Amino acid sequence: MRAYLTTIIEGGTEAYELEIVEAASGFEALKTLPHHKFDAILTDINMPDINGLELVSFLKNHPVHRTIPIMVISTEGREEDRKRAAALGAEEYLVKPFQAKDLIEKLRRLLKVA
Amino acid sequence: MSKEDDRARDEFTGEAEELLETLSRDLVEFESQGRDVRPEVINKIFREVHSLKGLAGMLGFGEISELSHNLEDMLDRLRMGKIEITKDLIDLLYDAIDSLNRLVIGINDPSMGGLVDVNGLTRRVHQLVTNQPTQVHQDPFADLTLDEQTKKSLTEYEEHRLLENVRARKQILAVEVRFDFSDFDEKLRALTETLSASGEVISTLPAIDSSGGSGIAFRLLYGSTLDEAAVSVLVPDANVTSLRKAQAVVAVEAPEEDLSLRSISQTVRVDIGKLDHVMNIVGELIIEKTQLDSLTRSLHQGEALQQARLTAHELTKIARNLDRKLNELQKSVIETRMVPVGQIYAKLSRTVRKVARELNKEIELVLRGEDTELDKVMVEELTDPLMHIIRNALDHGIESADERVAKGKNPIGRVTLNAYQQGNSVVLDVTDDGRGIDPEIVRKAAVKRNLIAQHDAFDQHRAYEMLFTPGFSTAAAVSEISGRGVGLDVVKKNLQDLKGSIDILSVPGEGTTFRIMLPITLAIIQALVVRAAGEQFAIPLTSVEESLRIYSRDVRTVERREVFTLRDFTLPLLRLADAFHLYGDREEGPDTKWFVVVTRSGEKVAGILVDELVRQQEVVIKSIGERLKTIPGIAGATEVGEGEIVLVIDVGTLIDSFGGAAREMRASAFA
Repeated sequence: MRAYLTTIIEGGTEAYELEIVEAASGFEALKTLPHHKFDAILTDINMPDINGLELVSFLKNHPVHRTIPIMVISTEGREEDRKRAAALGAEEYLVKPFQAKDLIEKLRRLLKVA
Repeated sequence: MSKEDDRARDEFTGEAEELLETLSRDLVEFESQGRDVRPEVINKIFREVHSLKGLAGMLGFGEISELSHNLEDMLDRLRMGKIEITKDLIDLLYDAIDSLNRLVIGINDPSMGGLVDVNGLTRRVHQLVTNQPTQVHQDPFADLTLDEQTKKSLTEYEEHRLLENVRARKQILAVEVRFDFSDFDEKLRALTETLSASGEVISTLPAIDSSGGSGIAFRLLYGSTLDEAAVSVLVPDANVTSLRKAQAVVAVEAPEEDLSLRSISQTVRVDIGKLDHVMNIVGELIIEKTQLDSLTRSLHQGEALQQARLTAHELTKIARNLDRKLNELQKSVIETRMVPVGQIYAKLSRTVRKVARELNKEIELVLRGEDTELDKVMVEELTDPLMHIIRNALDHGIESADERVAKGKNPIGRVTLNAYQQGNSVVLDVTDDGRGIDPEIVRKAAVKRNLIAQHDAFDQHRAYEMLFTPGFSTAAAVSEISGRGVGLDVVKKNLQDLKGSIDILSVPGEGTTFRIMLPITLAIIQALVVRAAGEQFAIPLTSVEESLRIYSRDVRTVERREVFTLRDFTLPLLRLADAFHLYGDREEGPDTKWFVVVTRSGEKVAGILVDELVRQQEVVIKSIGERLKTIPGIAGATEVGEGEIVLVIDVGTLIDSFGGAAREMRASAFA
C-alpha cells in the first residue's frame, strides 16, 4: 500500500518536488515527526502499534504539529471511523479502493496548491 | 506459457499452500476455543485470508481471489461481532479452506479444480451474513467513565473489543505511562506484552508529555481479569485507574452465584481406572493417526502421479478431521482427570497447626492458587513431598519467636504455599520468611559427614545440591519433626518420578523458597523427535528451551568438558550418542553439522548434541519395565508411527548424571 501511494504521489505531483517520508507503523510515524517539517500527513486507520485515529488525536493536540493538514485513508464501509477522524480534526478522508486522480486531487487541496 | 509465468505460478502455489496450511491449523484452534475464542485467533485468520486474496488477485487467479474476498468480508464482520460464532460458520470455514486447497492444486492439475463449486460456497457465505439476528446496539460507554479524547480515537473494531470486555465483566482500566522519546517504542511494546498475559490492550493513545520533559505519554485502555491494585503491582511505573462506575460492579454479582451453584450439581465422581482406559484408547488413536501422517508424507514425496496427489489430498483431509476429533477427546479426557490442588490444602493446614504446636512456634500459613488444576494422580503423589518441605520450613527455616524479635522480624513466622500454572507446567512455591540457607553452615555439616573434603570448592549452588544428597541433615539433633529418616533426597526422587523438578531459592536472613515444577499431566506429551547415531529419541517439549544448528568447530573444551557459547552463556554440551554408548558411522571434521537442543530441568540447563531434528509430535509414554527403570536419562518408550519404538528422554536425570550448568530462572521468589 505504501509503495503504491508513493508511486501515485510521485507521478502526480512532479511539478511541486515533494519529498516523501514513509513510516511502516504508528510508532515509526511518531519517531519521524521531530526530524522533518511536514506539509501534509497521510495515514491509514488500521495499522500496527497505534491506530490512525490515535495518531490524528496526538497531532491535533500537539503545540507544534497541530497545523499540519492530515488525510486519513481507510476501507469502505467504515462510516463511524470517518466521522471520528473528522471530529478529531482530520482535514480529508479517502476511501479504499480509490483512483489515482482522487488521491492527487485531495492531496492538492490539502497542500493548497492549484 | 512463458518461463516467467511458470515461475510466478510455482511461487504462488508454494506460498498459497503454506498459507492454507497455517489457516487449517488456526481454524482447529478457533474451533477448540469455540465462542470464547481469543480475538487474536480470528484476526490472524482474517489476515491470512486477506493475504491469500491479495496474492491471487495480483496473479489473476480469479476464483481463488473471489472466494477469499467473500470469506474476508465475512471474517471482518465476525471480528466486529456482527456475526455469531456457530457450528455452521465453522463448517463453512472448513469447507471453504478445503475448496481453496483444491483450487490451488487445480492450478497444476485442472481435474481437481473443476470439482469446486465456488458459486455454492459464495451463496452460503451470503446466507450466513444476511441471516444474522438483528443485534441490540449496546452502548459500551454506559457504565464507564471514559474521557472524550480516548472515546473519539477508538476505531469501530476497538469499540467492539471494548464492548466484548465489558460484557465479559472484565475490569476496564486506564493505564497511563510516560517514556523517554528515544526508546518509547521498545518500552511500550514490552509493557503491552506484560499486560496481554492477563488481558487485552484495547487501545493505545499517545499524548504530549505534560510534565514538560522530552518524553511522550500514553494512555492504554486495558480489559483484564486483574483489578486496579494487581495491575499496579504488575506495572509499577504506570498510573492505573479503574474506569468502571462503582454501581456497575455490584449489579453483576447475583448471576455469578447462580452459576457456581449449577457447577456443583454437575460434578460427577469417576473411577480413575475407567478414565485410564479412555486415555489408553486416545493413546492408540494417536498412534493410528501418526501412521496415517507418515503414509501421507511418503505419498507427497512420491512420483508426481495425479492419482497419488489426489489420494494424498484426501488422506490429508482425513488426518485433519481425525486430528480435530482427537484434540477434542484428549482435551475432555484430560479435563476430567484434573482436580484443583486446593484439595490437599486442608490436609496441609491441619498438619501445619499440629507441627507448629509441637515446635512451640507461632506460624501463619498462607495458601494461594487453590484453583490451579493438576492431574488427579499427581495431586495424590504430591501430598507427601509437600508435607515434608513444609515441615522442613517450620523446623529449620522459621526461627524461634525470640530470635525473630531480636532480628526485628514479626514474631509470627509466615509460610506461603503458592500454586500457579506456567505454560504446560504447574509450579508450587513453598516460601518461608525464616533464616534462609547459609552455604557456610551447609559446608561444615557436609565436611563433618565426609560428604566433601575440607578444601573442596563450595558455593551457594553446591550447598543447595548438598541438601538433596542422601544422608545429609543439618539439624543439630535429629528432631522429632523432620528427622524421620526421610530426607530431601527422597523428596527429589519422588518428584523426578513424576517428571518434575525441585529447586531452592534462598536469601540468608530473609527466607527460602522451594520451587516444585510438574507437568500438568503425564499421559500425553508433546515431544521433539531427534536422531543420534542412527537411533531416534523423543525429548519432551516441556524441557526444551530452543534448538539451534552448529558446526563441530563451534564446540570448545573447557575443563575437559565440551561447551558452546550461547549468546553470553557457556552452555555445557552432552552428546546423546555418548550418553547411551552408541557409535554412529559419522566421520567428524570441523564442518560437521550438529543440532543443539537446549534443555532445562529446574534451574539447570544443558545442550543435547544430536545429528538431526526429525519432527515435533505428540507421544504417549509407556513404561519400559523394571529392568531398565534404573538407567538414568530414560523416561520410557513410545511408538512414533510405522510401529517404530523410540526411547523418551528424561531430561532431569540425564542432566543430573551428565552435568548441566545453573542459569537464573526468570522469576525469583524475592523479586
